[in-house]
Amino acid sequence: MAFGSFLYSEHYAFAQTDQTESKLQAANTAVEQAFNAVLDAEKTGANVTGTLALLNTAAGILAQAENSYRTGDSNTTAAQADSVLPIAQEVTASAQDAKQTALISNQNAVWSTIAFTVIAGFVFVLVLFLVWRRFKRSYINSLSEAKPEVNSQ
Amino acid sequence: MKLEGYKLVFVAVGLIGVLLIATPALGDVIRLPGGEQFSELYLLGPDNMAANYPFNIVAGQNYSVYVGVGSQLGSSAYYVLYVKFGNQTDQMPNATLGTPSSLQPLYEYRFSIQDSVNWESLLNFSVSNASISGNNSQINTLQINNVTFNVDKPAVWNSNSTTFTYQLFFELWIYNVQTGSVEFNNRFVNLQLNLTRTP
Repeated sequence: MAFGSFLYSEHYAFAQTDQTESKLQAANTAVEQAFNAVLDAEKTGANVTGTLALLNTAAGILAQAENSYRTGDSNTTAAQADSVLPIAQEVTASAQDAKQTALISNQNAVWSTIAFTVIAGFVFVLVLFLVWRRFKRSYINSLSEAKPEVNSQ
Repeated sequence: MKLEGYKLVFVAVGLIGVLLIATPALGDVIRLPGGEQFSELYLLGPDNMAANYPFNIVAGQNYSVYVGVGSQLGSSAYYVLYVKFGNQTDQMPNATLGTPSSLQPLYEYRFSIQDSVNWESLLNFSVSNASISGNNSQINTLQINNVTFNVDKPAVWNSNSTTFTYQLFFELWIYNVQTGSVEFNNRFVNLQLNLTRTP
């Protein structure tokens, strides 16, 4: 019976370690996915300062979980790893929203830039053309006035 | 100047003007290459200066150092900073080969920082359950930021440096988005320690 109890406790310990490891792995994956989402949002030009601060909260707890795991404290490790998941998911969702907002904002900015370039370019060329015409006329007039008169005698 | 000459001046002014007006639109299309990309890792003493680093340590006494990371990667980066503890014979990271130490990390930090931003943290540590006997010493317990680790690390008296040499070192690892894994960034700093006496 004692042997049976020993086997049970051994099996329980292994099962608990496996479970803790898988929780740590899940937390690691969640934080990495959250970081990928933040990086994507940043590349589209979104302001990710707040999201990154939240990600750091999750990363900090994950580090604590890893440290607890190394000291052999499985219960604390599991609890800390579990608490990482909702924060990481919140970061991912927030980063995806920020990315969408930045994409729309970027699209509007691109259209505004194109519109500005076309209108400003057209106005500039038109004004330059009108100035050129006026300049050309005054140049020809000044040439006509400077033309020497032929004496008929 | 003849009229043809003035015409050329107007055409040139027109072209330059159009280019200037199109600059914002061209800026969206043409991307100039950025500068050199790198991460930096540094260690400061307890006064947050490059001085008064702990060296001669006594069991049961608290010591502190500041460890910091700077990012110049052009975008945000996710770092893992491992703290490892070894003696004079343990393998240190190899900067030439770019390989980390084979020692298992004791403690770690995880953080993400934006480009051109520094991260810094105070690390408190102490050793306990230490002994010195003749030419041999042993540190059994290392406490880092109130987390206790059993290290069971022996060291032999080094007659050249007249120390029982221990090393508390920091390895910087970075998350690689392409591979989806954390990789050694070939940045490490080492704090050499000498166990002088036990309580």
